[in-house]
Amino acid sequence: MTALDNYIAPTSLEQAVEQLQELGEVTILAGGTDLMPQANAGRVKFKRTLMNIRRIPELRGIVREDGEIRIGALTTIAEIMAHPLVSEHLPLLVSTGDHFASGQIRNAATLGGNICNASPAGDTLVPLMVLGASVELASKPDDKLFRRSMPLPEFFVGPGKTRLAPAELLTAVRIPIPPKGFVARFHKFGTRPALDISAISIGVAGVLKDGKLSQVRVAFGAVAPTPVCGCATEEALEGKKLDAATIDAAAQAAQDEVHPISDVRASAWYRKEMIHNMTRRILEDVAANH
Amino acid sequence: MSQQTIDFTLNGVPTRVSVPVQMSALEMIRNVAGLTGTKYGCGEGECGACTILLDGVSLNSCLLFAVECDGRAVTTIEGLAADPVGLRIEKAFVDAGAVQCGFCTPGMVMQAKQLLEQNPHPSREEIQRGIEGNLCRCTGYVKIVDAIEAASKE
Amino acid sequence: MPEAIQKDTLIGKRITKLDAPEKAGGKTRYIQDLDVQGQLYGKILRSSRVHAKIKSIDTSAAKALSGVHAVITAADVPYQRPIGVAKDHFPLKTDRVRSLRDEIAAVAAESEAIAEAALKLIRVEYEDLPVLADPNESLKPGAPLIHPEPHGATAKHDHLKQAQGIAYAGKPDNIAMVFDYAQGDVAAGERESDVVFEDTFHLHYVTHCCMGVSGIIAEFDSSGNLLMYSNTQVPFLHKREFAEILAMDPARIRIIQPPIGGGFGSKLDIYPFEPITVFLARATGRPVKLIFTREEEFLASPTRQPVILTLRSGCKKDGTLTFRTVSTLHDNGAYTSWGATTPFVMMQTISSLYRVPHCLYHTKAVYTNNPYAGSFRGYGNLQATFAVEQHMDMMAEAIGMDPLAFRLKNAQDPGEVTPQGMHFKSCGLKECLTTAAEASGFLAKAGANRANRDKPGRFKHGIGIASMLHVGGGAKIYPSDGCGTILKMDDFGSVTLITGASEIGQGSETVLAQLVCEELGLPLSAVRVINNDTEITPWDVGVHASRTTFIAGNSAIGAAKKARGKILAAAGKMADLNPDELDLRGGHIVEAKSGKVVMTLAKLLRQLHFSDKAELVMTSFYYEPPSKHQDKHFKGDVSAAYAWATQVVEVEVDTDTGIVRLLKVTGAHDVGRVLNRLGIEGQIEGGIVMGQGYALTEELLVENGVVRNPGFRDYKLVTAPEIPEMDVRFIETMDGEGPQGAKGVGEAPAICIAAATANAIENATGVRIMALPFTPEKVYRALKAKGQHH
Ligand SMILES: Cc1cc2nc3c(=O)[nH]c(=O)nc-3n(C[C@H](O)[C@H](O)[C@H](O)COP(=O)(O)OP(=O)(O)OC[C@H]3O[C@@H](n4cnc5c(N)ncnc54)[C@H](O)[C@@H]3O)c2cc1C
Ligand code: FES
Ligand code: FES
Repeated sequence: MTALDNYIAPTSLEQAVEQLQELGEVTILAGGTDLMPQANAGRVKFKRTLMNIRRIPELRGIVREDGEIRIGALTTIAEIMAHPLVSEHLPLLVSTGDHFASGQIRNAATLGGNICNASPAGDTLVPLMVLGASVELASKPDDKLFRRSMPLPEFFVGPGKTRLAPAELLTAVRIPIPPKGFVARFHKFGTRPALDISAISIGVAGVLKDGKLSQVRVAFGAVAPTPVCGCATEEALEGKKLDAATIDAAAQAAQDEVHPISDVRASAWYRKEMIHNMTRRILEDVAANH
Repeated sequence: MSQQTIDFTLNGVPTRVSVPVQMSALEMIRNVAGLTGTKYGCGEGECGACTILLDGVSLNSCLLFAVECDGRAVTTIEGLAADPVGLRIEKAFVDAGAVQCGFCTPGMVMQAKQLLEQNPHPSREEIQRGIEGNLCRCTGYVKIVDAIEAASKE
Repeated sequence: MPEAIQKDTLIGKRITKLDAPEKAGGKTRYIQDLDVQGQLYGKILRSSRVHAKIKSIDTSAAKALSGVHAVITAADVPYQRPIGVAKDHFPLKTDRVRSLRDEIAAVAAESEAIAEAALKLIRVEYEDLPVLADPNESLKPGAPLIHPEPHGATAKHDHLKQAQGIAYAGKPDNIAMVFDYAQGDVAAGERESDVVFEDTFHLHYVTHCCMGVSGIIAEFDSSGNLLMYSNTQVPFLHKREFAEILAMDPARIRIIQPPIGGGFGSKLDIYPFEPITVFLARATGRPVKLIFTREEEFLASPTRQPVILTLRSGCKKDGTLTFRTVSTLHDNGAYTSWGATTPFVMMQTISSLYRVPHCLYHTKAVYTNNPYAGSFRGYGNLQATFAVEQHMDMMAEAIGMDPLAFRLKNAQDPGEVTPQGMHFKSCGLKECLTTAAEASGFLAKAGANRANRDKPGRFKHGIGIASMLHVGGGAKIYPSDGCGTILKMDDFGSVTLITGASEIGQGSETVLAQLVCEELGLPLSAVRVINNDTEITPWDVGVHASRTTFIAGNSAIGAAKKARGKILAAAGKMADLNPDELDLRGGHIVEAKSGKVVMTLAKLLRQLHFSDKAELVMTSFYYEPPSKHQDKHFKGDVSAAYAWATQVVEVEVDTDTGIVRLLKVTGAHDVGRVLNRLGIEGQIEGGIVMGQGYALTEELLVENGVVRNPGFRDYKLVTAPEIPEMDVRFIETMDGEGPQGAKGVGEAPAICIAAATANAIENATGVRIMALPFTPEKVYRALKAKGQHH
């Protein structure tokens, strides 16, 4: 049986990180939508203490700070979708949320949980990457609250593995407010509108001016142990006129640069084909609608 | 196994129970509180048979840690009997023929309640999306959508 | 008291289900929700190997765990007998495991958590054996044998090996069952043919996915009587079978059926968990409750029969069908359940859906180490129809005839007796075909889609048609296909209808109540239905073969007619009127012609009851349909009526991804007569979506005997946003034998969807796919291979 024998529900960030530091062996609980099924299936083992972080007000809320939107780690997918700042500046996250799980899960699943769960198919990861997001982490190794941040892509190490230190909490995600002319798309491949694990996903963003894309960011989900940057695809697009030839080259670059595996959801071959076809479709859509 | 005492309201009734820390709200509702209207269909968030409202928001109780109910208001299908919208939905399910084996029905009704609260006049398509987290093996969903639509028009 | 009441009818109305309010309010107690005072919780240890000898089982640590009342293995139940259709399956495995789901040991403990912890303490040593994962491999000479030697009795109980029936004799090869059927002379048929096609179709594993997982509670009383709370669909057959398995007197077994969270054929056989729970109850002297997890449900419940089907068929230039030759390989899995017997139904479709003079049918069901197949709504018909209806399209195209005209030319007519001996007293196939085709605009759309398919564009539209034939008046596979009813009236004019027919969510109790009300002129609220206790209810063969409305309906009508006769006779006497000129309406006795009220029914009943020749109105009736057993050549009129349907499916194919969306299903169903419109629509809509899952989304992935997707995350049921628009039409052929003219429809709607979808995909893209399901990857591959991708 599990060694879990303690439950805490800190009510402030200070308290939480202090307890994390002190107790060492702690499993963090946010919405529980990953933790509960993973624990039931024996894929994660509880540590001695279960820390419910949902009573920490500092981890909630969506605000605009300087040129950024800051989304608290505990914000649920449903809350993100409903927030005016998000629909105004980050509509990509609204459509991402619309493809995420089901109504019930969107009400429970937190953004922080999705990121810390670090699934290569985690649906907010690819959009956040192309939006240039960074994560904000907090801990209290000594008397002082220590905060650090890092660009999202650096945060992921492998499936379920991140650079989060043992006594650290993810407190928020910061997303720069996109510049004028910014376009962004996210495609999640599946046969259902939502409630589906991505067989592949693609995010594309950049600034479109005079038919040319610049500051291009491309990311792919479910084709590697972590969500990955589509660097070759970015290169094929950067500064180029978004015409048929560019789109073809970019789609080809995308297909060539991913190295997915075969599993119950799709074969590697099919995943590569879909990366190609959907990258092309996304770019055609961008070209047609802007 | 560590037990934790929690206080919450269950369908409006102040309730105190002691539960193992890793217990799901579904198990707590069924096996500790003894209300069996909330169903186990999968235990992993895929079927919606276990849908409840926590502070008025619909969730899969199989994914929810029981301890998280502490200090909050839990509503189950049994609690909808005291809610006019809930009753209207239940009646609409009966009248529309939306109930066959009935195993998915409590969860469907709970999610319908959430849906109509957020969007009192949904289109059929919005209703279909609204219940995408609830599986039904018997009805083919048509009459369930009919029922929710009818309830929204009353 | 009203003065007069005019005739009214409930038939064909939209009637809500009697049990719906309880269910909608969450008050219905399913097996999962029942607790018996003092109950223990059972759990089963399953094999972790696909095929292996069991070297040893050590249960000592599990037995020592606090809260554990019993840990049993085959050695503890030397009396256990084999279960299943071929009696080749011991509930607790003795010498070896043959599939990953195999039961090795079981625990009864004070809580589920303790029982689970105890399972983890059981040590099993295996010696792996080669795995047979492909039925073709099972047939090769020298293939390892799945049931090589007598098994059942353990070494310790050698003497029992001799005891008759306890050991299973084993098989010298891997062939579980063989079916052969012939009509006419296929060689002659082939000689007459202008067009001949031969293709092999691959039908996959799917499973029932009842939303309520399997479960049972078993309990013995002090006199040794066994009470089971069970979701079986065939309580009376199971009483007898359990008695055999447990070496008990059947009279000592009582089965109570709590409301069921879905059936669809899955509860037609006895599965190991049921006798195992009884063994645990016996071992502990306590009630034992055993409920599956969803994962267990995926791993250890039966599947639909997977089939490799080779079809050769031909026709003449004028469109006349000439012959069909079918050979199928059924993957039987490790044990034999009803799946192996699906040829009974498959050959009906092959021989008699359309007129074919010459037919040859052959099936081998062969053992493998895969999951085993049971019965599942449609019973082989989805598989057979998938092949037959694709060839119908292919032949039509080859001779340049439109698919509708080709089908109409070969369609059955009322009155026909087929070479297999089926007598179609009522038959609406031609009407189904024309109605579905017209309502959907089939011909025009098919032509337009075809013209568009080679034009550029990502999305292609297609339309496809398929029909089906299925038993609609029971199926005489047992000595009796009947059902009993007891009808009892109280002195307030209310009726208790006690029927042998189980309710499995399909709404049968509402239809039965309705039929009784129709005879007795009562509102539905006056009827209570009792249908769930073998101690009380009269015999019935069970819920299967879409038979309940038909057989139990006729039985209920029979009992109600008797009661009506009694009541009217008494009323006639009392009021000095001719009973033939009286009627029952709205709870009153009335004069049939004028509707003039004579007296209330309640008053009449009380007068009867309290008179000096006191009498209660209580009747019983047993209905046996006029169907026949098939002879040993599989010929005979097995059903009292046959149901027909045509479905037209419209799809959109995304050539960039291979995603197929079902846009619309137009169905025309010969249901005999609509009794409860609400209920029958619900059955058909649910069946359509089940057929959609079979065609597009559902697949139990079995690799080397291992189920790779035992959960809803990767076993994809259709969800609400994916359903097509539906246009369902009813063809009322008023079957002469049916209750009020009705026929059974429970299975029909699921049957043609996959076949029609295949035809629609071909219409959209020119690509014909002969393997299910049509997953995006499979469709995309096929498109790519034909250069249809853009
Ligand atoms: C049926 C179903 C469907 C799903 N569909 C989707 C989908 O479509 N797309 C998708 O991306 N995901 C999906 N998920 C996965 C899941 O819902 C999401 O990953 C969700 O965002 C996790 O958030 P949570 O708050 O529930 O996390 P939890 O389960 O509470 O936590 C997840 C992990 O992160 C850690 N953690 C959480 N918050 C923090 C923090 N602030 N600091 C440090 N560590 C933390 C936890 O310790 C745990 O290891 C689905 C899950 C289910 C059950
Ligand atoms: S039981 Fe909770 S979603 Fe299925
Ligand atoms: S009514 Fe049976 S699962 Fe929905």
